Order: sequence, then structure tokens, then C-alpha cells
Amino acid sequence: MIIRLIQFQDRENQMNPMEKSKWPPGDLVIWIFIMAELLVFGIFFAAYAFTRANHVELFNTYQATLDRNSALLNTLALITSSYFVVRAVAAIKIDDNKRCFQWLLAALFMGVVFLVIKSIEYQHHFSQGINLSTNTFYMFYLSLTFFHFLHVVLGMVILIAVALKARAGGYCAQEHTGVETGASYWHMVDLVWIVLFPLVYVMK
Amino acid sequence: MNTMTENKYFFRPCTWIFLLLVGLTVVTWFIGMKQFSGLQISLMVLGIALLKGQLIGDYFMGLRRVSGFWRWAVAIWLLLIGSLISYAFNISA
Amino acid sequence: MKYESQKVAKLYFIAAIGLFVGQILFGLIMGMQYVVGDFLFPEIPFNVARMVHTNLLIVWLLFGFMGASYYLVPEEAETELFAPWLAYLMFWIFLAAGAATVLAYLLVPYATLAEVTMNHLLPTMGREFLEQPTITKIGIVIVVLAFLFNIGMTILKGRKTVVSLVLLMGLTGLAVFFLFAFYNPTNLVMDKYYWWWVVHMWVEGVWELILGAILAFILIKTTGVDREVIEKWLYIIIAMTLITGIIGMGHHYYWIGTPEFWQWWGSIFSALEPIPFFMMTVYAFNMVNRRRRNHPNKVAVLWALGTAVMAFLGAGVWGFLHTLAPVNYYTHGTQITAAHGHMAFYGAYVMIVLGMISYSMPLMRGRELCNSARSQTIEMWSFWLMTVSMVFITLFLTAAGILQVYLQRFSDNPMDFMVVQDKIALFYWLREITGLIFLIGLIVYIASFFVGQDEPEATVEPLK
Repeated sequence: MIIRLIQFQDRENQMNPMEKSKWPPGDLVIWIFIMAELLVFGIFFAAYAFTRANHVELFNTYQATLDRNSALLNTLALITSSYFVVRAVAAIKIDDNKRCFQWLLAALFMGVVFLVIKSIEYQHHFSQGINLSTNTFYMFYLSLTFFHFLHVVLGMVILIAVALKARAGGYCAQEHTGVETGASYWHMVDLVWIVLFPLVYVMK
Repeated sequence: MNTMTENKYFFRPCTWIFLLLVGLTVVTWFIGMKQFSGLQISLMVLGIALLKGQLIGDYFMGLRRVSGFWRWAVAIWLLLIGSLISYAFNISA
Repeated sequence: MKYESQKVAKLYFIAAIGLFVGQILFGLIMGMQYVVGDFLFPEIPFNVARMVHTNLLIVWLLFGFMGASYYLVPEEAETELFAPWLAYLMFWIFLAAGAATVLAYLLVPYATLAEVTMNHLLPTMGREFLEQPTITKIGIVIVVLAFLFNIGMTILKGRKTVVSLVLLMGLTGLAVFFLFAFYNPTNLVMDKYYWWWVVHMWVEGVWELILGAILAFILIKTTGVDREVIEKWLYIIIAMTLITGIIGMGHHYYWIGTPEFWQWWGSIFSALEPIPFFMMTVYAFNMVNRRRRNHPNKVAVLWALGTAVMAFLGAGVWGFLHTLAPVNYYTHGTQITAAHGHMAFYGAYVMIVLGMISYSMPLMRGRELCNSARSQTIEMWSFWLMTVSMVFITLFLTAAGILQVYLQRFSDNPMDFMVVQDKIALFYWLREITGLIFLIGLIVYIASFFVGQDEPEATVEPLK
């Protein structure tokens, strides 16, 4: 990877520094969607925190049963994936559809890693007979993470669509809104997990 | 490997941010593994998460190159959930 | 109108409006019975009036959706309807079945009806909104399947647009969820659980797709804004609708014996159900502001904007009012629910059907673009009469509901149901009066079809 970084640094230095734009990267519609999604998760997080306030003992006890190593790997997977997507956007900005596609593929791979690790975690919980009705902590844990899980899936579907178009050479330096749109959504999925991880796995 | 010392732009900014995010994640994980608890620790962990979120918003989502409302959209969200969560942890501590 | 077979819609729309009148009449009868208990008793008991009121609503909206689809799909697909004859045939079957069912409600005791239609072979009757005899339900399935087939084949042989695909998705969902009307488990919790999948999964889920598609169609036609822009909005509105609507359904599961997590899921997700409606409002106004042309059919645009606003208020805001589990604990099944139901149905579904009629009817009756100025003015009057009276019906019912919740469930000395009903009678009277104004609005609406027919079409200044 380091070799890749070296290869890229020259090109980035040639890029014009962008002036400030009034609109965020990607289609504005996706940003409205992102805000709506953040609102959903925000409410979910707040509900978790306030419910925990009434059941501190219960939450602390069962939080201890979670697998923080898996959560670490998953966080790293998503951050890395997000980073790859950043590189994909950078690639398309210099008209490189091929590299853009490769970075997206790498990002998707990290997405798969996330899904696999998370599934193994679920497998472990379910094998112990834990479900939504076990207790309030598990209710929140399962709901929150599974809802996020679905967002990872949706984000990957979007990335696949973008990647396929990139492979077909569908974007260029002048017109790559699609890549930025998919990227913004994917970063949102990452952003949500960044808060979810400490809140559900660590804070007590 | 000479370029590494000669060129201060060896890593592009987003790569530095990425490494920073990885580092902060490991710190959070370490706190979790050591089973540290208490309000101060929790708020610190939360603070790290909010910082990470802001980094993602600024550098990955590219909001630092945006002006107006959208510049602060992610920051506002982080601030909101941050205060709600810390308030909830505060009343239960 | 570009395709001859689009005309099928006319028949459906006429039937829809006719049944709409019936629905309002029975609504008024029922509203009267709220305050004068023995009004029209024993000829039309309250439970029968209620059944007719709600069933007619559903049926005429279905007629409206079918008409809208028959008009919209050929134009979007750029081809004639697959089988116009089938559409006509199904219309008469549906109308006959509907009329027979309503007459049976009115003329035969419900128990006898169940016996005559052999409900015991496949018991499906006796549940709210699903009172129809099993045989009628089977008829509905046949009609809907034939309709779906017709629409689907038309789309298949023609151009596939996002609008028509979203519409097809909504209509398919409608058909699929209706099948749960046949599922009637003996376990009461399970029965209730799936019961909600019929009408409520419609209005909170798949019907919103139909609404979104029809609204998009009207906006494309009247504003001239690029299809791509409108389709993009449609995508996120649908995504948001499905995310919030399907799990938000959980707000019906709070007190029927389901696991506790539904109180969380239902509260959190249904609290977000206003978002897609809010997006719809923003988008409708946005598109009209960015219009590339001034369309002379001003009243159709008025309905389109009206539906966006009223759906947000009725479904979004009034839904949110009592959707959180701790609130719903007190408000469940009170007049708050009735207030929400009235404005949500009117805002989201009545207005979009009337908007589609408003856009397409002049074209099907041989106009180039729109009705005469006089006819449009009268229709606008009916818009405001109906919409404002619906706002007041909602407000009066909300007031009645708040009082009811307080007196009957919240105060230190809760009163009996009937005692409370007496105390809030004033609001029921006010509701009944506004209901009459609504009826006047509806009559004015119908009058607009007959006024100014020989006058030239309205014109507008071209957009500068």
C-alpha cells in the first residue's frame, strides 16, 4: 500500500486547491437523506443513553458480554473502507476510472469484512439464545447494530452501482457527482458506527 | 525511500487523518478492554468519538471545503447527540 | 391525452367520486349519531354506518388509484394499455361487488350476511375494515390481480420510467398485503398483528409509493421540470418511507400482546414517519418554484401542493402527536386517533386522487390542456371549502380527544366513557357542522364538472 501512496502523492500536488463550495460533495438529495438518517440514529442513540440511565447496572453487566475485539476490527474495517472511498473520489478527480474502480472494490471488500465479523458476533449471541426480548440492553444492542448492519448493506449496494459505472468509464474529472454521492453516503455509515462503537461497546 | 524524508507531503492529508482515526480507535478499544469505567472515562471516550466524527465529516466527507449550513451539518449532529448522551450519562453517574 | 386507452380512467374516476359522496353522507349520519344516539335507528345502526363510511373510503380510493394508474401508465410507457377491455370488465365487476356489499351491510343483519356468504368455510369477516364477506374479498383479489396484470403488461411492453415502476411497486404491495385479509389465526395477538398489515401497511407504506408516483407524474406534467430531478427526489422519499413506515408500523403493536421491543421500535421509527412527508412538501414546492412553464391547469397544481402540505400535517404531524408509546398509552383509541385518521386520509390520499382527476379529467373530456377559467375557479372554491373544513374537523376532534384523554384517563378522578362523551358533545356538534360544509365543498366540486363546459380553456401568461 505504501508504494501506492508514493505513486499518488505527485498527482495530488498537481491538483488545484479547491475553493469553498456552497454545497456538499455529491447530490444534494443524498445529503438530505443523510441528515434524515443521522436523525434516526441520533434518536436511537439518545434513547439508548437515557434508557441506560435508568438501568445502569443491567447495561454495564451485559455490555461486558460483548466482544470488543470484533468491534475494534469492525471499526477499523469501516474506517479503512471509508478511506479507500476517499481515494476513489481522488482518483476520479484526475480522470482515472480504473483506479477509482479499484479503490471502490477495496472499499467494498472492507464492507464485506465488516458484515462477516458482525455476522459471527450475531451467530455467537444467537447460539446463546439471546434475542430482542432477553433484556433491554440486548434489545438496544441488537436493534442498533442490526439497523446499522442494514445500512452497511445499502451503502454497499450504492457503492457497487457506482463501481460498475466507474468500471464502464462512466465518470470523468468534470462529471463525477455519482461517485461523490455514493462516497458521502458511505462515510455516513462509517460516521454512525464511529459513535455507536464507543457508546454501545465501551462507555460505562 | 529517500522521498520520505525529503518530501513533507509524503502522505496526503486524508492518509494522515486515516492513521489518526485508527490510532484513536485503538485508544477507545484499549479503554474498553481494560474495563475502565466512570463518568470521566465515558466522557473522554465520547469526546474521542465526536472528534473522530468531525474528522470524518471534515476530511472524508469533504465538508471543510464547504461553506454555509452544510459546513456544519455533521458538527451540529455530533454536538447534539454528544450533549444528549453526556447528559444521560451524567444523570446516571 | 396521448393514448386512446387512457380514457378507461374516466369511468373509474366517476365511480370514485360517486362513492366519495356516499362516504361523506354516511360520515354525516355517524357524526349525528355521536350526539343524537338514536338518529336513524334502527334502520342504520352506528356500527353499520361506520362500516359503510370506512369501507366506501377504501373502495373509492382504490377506484381512484386504479383510474390514476390506467391514465398514468400508458402515458409513461408510451403505449396503449395492454387490454382496455379487461379494465372495463374489472370496473363493472368491482363496482357491482362493491355496491352489493354495501347494500348487504345496510339491508341484512351482519350475522345473517356472514351466514349467507358462508363465512364459516373461510372465516375472514368481523374485523375492522375487513368486514366484507369472504366472497367479496376473493372478488377484490381477482379484480386487483387483473388490474396489476394489465398495468404490468403495459409497462413491460413500453417505456419503463421510475414513476411507473414506483407506482407498480406500490400497487403490487397493495395486492400482497391485502392477502393478509384471508389470514385469520385463532390466536388473538397473531390475528391483530397481521390485521395491521392490510389497511395500515397500505397507508403507511405502499400507498405512499402510489402517492409519490402520482404526485411526481402531476409535477412532471405541470411544471416541466426535468424528469431526472423529480425521480431523484422520488428515490429518497421512497427509501425514507420504507425505512420509517415498515418498522414504524410497530406503533400499532404496543398494547396487543407483542414483545416489549415493539414499543421502542414503534416509537423511534414511527416518530420519523413525518420525514418523508416533509420531504414531499419541500420537493413539491421546490419543483413548482423551479417550473419551466406556467401550466394553465392551475387547480391541478393547487391539489398537488395541497396534498403535499396536508399529508405532512395529517399523516406526519398528527400522526406524531400520539405515536410515542408513553403518549399512546393514554391516547390509544380516542378521538385523537379519529382526528389523525381524517386529516391523514384526506391529505395524503383523497387529495392526490382528486388532483389526478383534476389534471386528467379535462383531457379525457376533450380539452387540450385544462378546463375553462370559471370551472377552475369553482373547483378551487371546492378545494378550499373541503380542505379548510377538514382542518377544522381535525381541530375539533383533537380538542375532543384531548379532553377525553384528560377526563377519562389522566385526571385524578377518571370518569366513565359515556359520561365523558356527554361532556365533549359540543365538539361533536362543531365537527358535524364543519362536516356539512365539507359536503357543500364536495357538491361544489361535482358542480365544477358541469360549469363552463362551453367556455374556452383558461390561459396563462407564459413564464418569463
